[in-house]
Amino acid sequence: MTGTLATTGLRKAFGGVTALDGATVNFQPGKVNALIGPNGSGKTTYFNCVTGMIKPDSGTVTYAGRDITGKAPHSIARHGLGRTFQLCRTFPRMTALENVLAAVPPGGLLGGLRGAKRRSEIERAMGWLTRLGIEHLAGNEARDMSWGQQKLLELAGVLMSEPDTVLLDEPAGGVNPALLDRIGLLVRELNAEGRTFVIVEHNMDLVMSISDHIVVFDRGRPIAEGPPSVIRTDEKVLGAYLGV
Amino acid sequence: MPNVSRILKIGAIVLLAVAVLAFPGVAPNPYILSAGVLVLNYAVLSTSWNFVGGFTGYISLGHGALAGLGAYGTGLLVAKGGLPPFLALFLSAAIVAALAVPIGFAALRVRGASFVIVSISLVLILLLVFQSWASVTGGSRGLVVPRPFDLSRPEHHRVFYYLFAALLAAALVAWWLIDRSRFGLGLKSIREDEDKAEALGTATFTYKLIVFVVSAAFTALAGGMYALWFGDLDPVFQFSILTGSYLVLMALLGGVRQLFGPVAGAIIVGVALEYFKVEYGDTPLHLVATGLLLALVVLFMPDGILPAVGDLLKRFDRSQRSSIREVSAAELREQRLKEQAGTETGGKGTGDDGTGRTAMTEAGGTTR
Amino acid sequence: MPSGALLFQSVILGLLLGGLYALLASGLTLYFGIMRVVMIAHSAFLILAAYLAWYLHESVGLDPLLSMIGTVPLFFAAGVGLQRALLTRLRPATLTMMSVLLTFAIALLIEGLLGYAFTGTQRRINLGYSSAGLELFGARIAVVKLIAFGLAAVALTTLYLLLKRTKFGWALRATIQHRDAARLLGIDTDRVAGFGFGIGLATAAIGGTALSLDTTIYPSLHWHWIGPLMAIIVVGGLGSVPGAAIAAMILGLAQSLLQIPLGTTWAQTVFYVALFATLAFRPQGFFGGRLAQRF
Repeated sequence: MTGTLATTGLRKAFGGVTALDGATVNFQPGKVNALIGPNGSGKTTYFNCVTGMIKPDSGTVTYAGRDITGKAPHSIARHGLGRTFQLCRTFPRMTALENVLAAVPPGGLLGGLRGAKRRSEIERAMGWLTRLGIEHLAGNEARDMSWGQQKLLELAGVLMSEPDTVLLDEPAGGVNPALLDRIGLLVRELNAEGRTFVIVEHNMDLVMSISDHIVVFDRGRPIAEGPPSVIRTDEKVLGAYLGV
Repeated sequence: MPNVSRILKIGAIVLLAVAVLAFPGVAPNPYILSAGVLVLNYAVLSTSWNFVGGFTGYISLGHGALAGLGAYGTGLLVAKGGLPPFLALFLSAAIVAALAVPIGFAALRVRGASFVIVSISLVLILLLVFQSWASVTGGSRGLVVPRPFDLSRPEHHRVFYYLFAALLAAALVAWWLIDRSRFGLGLKSIREDEDKAEALGTATFTYKLIVFVVSAAFTALAGGMYALWFGDLDPVFQFSILTGSYLVLMALLGGVRQLFGPVAGAIIVGVALEYFKVEYGDTPLHLVATGLLLALVVLFMPDGILPAVGDLLKRFDRSQRSSIREVSAAELREQRLKEQAGTETGGKGTGDDGTGRTAMTEAGGTTR
Repeated sequence: MPSGALLFQSVILGLLLGGLYALLASGLTLYFGIMRVVMIAHSAFLILAAYLAWYLHESVGLDPLLSMIGTVPLFFAAGVGLQRALLTRLRPATLTMMSVLLTFAIALLIEGLLGYAFTGTQRRINLGYSSAGLELFGARIAVVKLIAFGLAAVALTTLYLLLKRTKFGWALRATIQHRDAARLLGIDTDRVAGFGFGIGLATAAIGGTALSLDTTIYPSLHWHWIGPLMAIIVVGGLGSVPGAAIAAMILGLAQSLLQIPLGTTWAQTVFYVALFATLAFRPQGFFGGRLAQRF
């Protein structure tokens, strides 16, 4: 069962610029959560703090009741928090299959010496590639794939690492409408299977159609949260977006 | 299922092994044989270097220093400690591996630039220390290492030739094992995108540290073996920045993603170095030649010559596949049969890592 | 316990040496800031400039200081050319590693060609004022060292003003801090990067001239400089020019003082000790350097 991702008073400044200003958020477990806000409101910094890519100046991150503040990213990933990157990142000179297999935990020092291409794992990896509709590219190197295909590949890798909670950083960025629909559908499906999602996204159509719960950021802290119907009419949100 | 390319590959390896083992028999004189020992020494060193350079993409210019440490460790343990030569060799390698932990800790915690800086600094500081600390190391007077066997000169070369060949085989097997393991896949993902690897749950720092220590151990073994063979150590040569650059050049020229890349590079560069020495003596021009070659490889052939040759071969034999991709290709076919997904050819296995560019682009082109 | 005069002299010499380190390290920092390139050939260019100063002095009797009229623009052009023609050819994904190899190769080339042209013999300029000294509270300071420091100080001040006060400096700093954002602001970042490299190499030309005044030079001398310089930019925090300058002064002073009890060779290890300690305990460096955490 998936745990609750929560942060208290998360703060991070770069030089003189405050990117996060005491962000206290509780995401709803088992739901599709969205994190929205104007450019520069601290969403990606927030993701990076949560997943350990950067260390917050103060505040705590807890997942499933455990304090994971300042832990190494790989350790946070092993706690069950998987993430994608804003500008989709894959391993360019590895095949799609290897990209997905790279997410398998090695299982200790001796486990690491086992072959990387065990039958059971290849089947599991191919399963994810198939589910995302890119199994025909399994033998292709990632750098030879299109942007959209790489986005799907990145997601397949993250899913292979068996996260309970998946953080997606702009899944709709640069993808065509058809693929966008597919990603939306996929998120709902994967959510129905019990995975929690937290999505940073600018595409409001996607956000409104797939999320159960929306958190709105402005200047490094949440200013509103609630279901799409509430957020759509919230005046503070409109103010933040219109710059009032 | 009969697999022609696999048989070809194994045949090539057997042929290579036979050629290497037969060399002492056909070497016309002890000098040529000693040159063979030197080339094998380079082959072991650059293969050892490739544990770090090939898997993680971290370029070390300081592996010469690790070899020097292994050499001096062995030499001192034999000459001053009175240990049996081969016990000293392994003990020295163990000590260097232990030293590699704090060095790696400082060098690998952050990204590439620091690693390079530490690796070069390692050579410079060890040169200082070993030259100045003359009471222990013999300083610039050098350190004489007693020979382990009471043999004539040609016999001595012959024995060490086979010892180096055995060490090379061990290093190659170890590299091959890591290459096909999960650990190896993790290392390669670090090479491709370290942040991404970390985010997927790979303990990148630990991975890098482990492989650095393994690399240091093999490098030290090669250095120690050199000490026992050559019998005379001088800090200027043992801790020369040039050694490290030769190793990089060899591995890069041969191809860092290939098991036999560094060996191929060592043969080419090693033979060229010896030839240069014989033809032109000790002039600063070998620096120019090394620098020029290194620059050309970096600029125009960063993947090395083995992939280039592989590409060439593939034009003649489209069906050739590496064992790695075979799995995915076979798996793929199975999958496809299950779903009866039609006749499209994407994902058809292509050659060795990084070599099947053209074929792959074609395959990618048909898919969407 | 060393006498007060000796101590005082060491402090002065350390500060003078630190000034030269600071100038050279700032060049190294510029390259790193602009392109994440650890420019191994920086000190080889330094020695090249010293050789050019020596050669012009030997052959036509030109004062080394005047050689800068030629070497500074020449090195500036070489820096621009190096960046535009060679470094931009490398794949961005492997730039840091491959550029190290490329600049390393250039260092070997320069060393080899210097050795070929001038042999490995040690060279030294003998100037009319070489032996002149200044007595100061019992400490004796060679005039040439003061000139070298003066050169470094003037060059460093100029560099500082260039970075802080000019439009080009603003563009350069913007490029260092956030290349994409700088491009959005309409800065031609490629051009700026090229000029940045030119300025970096120009510091090597000035430093080399300063070095030639009171140092015996030989082709492989550059290895004795690149180690300390790399240590300085790490201790100072990769990418931070003021950090590099402070670290240079402190380490130069430390080296000079440690020479009293340890001798010249062992005193040099202070750089490497500082390098390892910094990376092990505070990899981001001690004086700023936002970039350092990630490289």
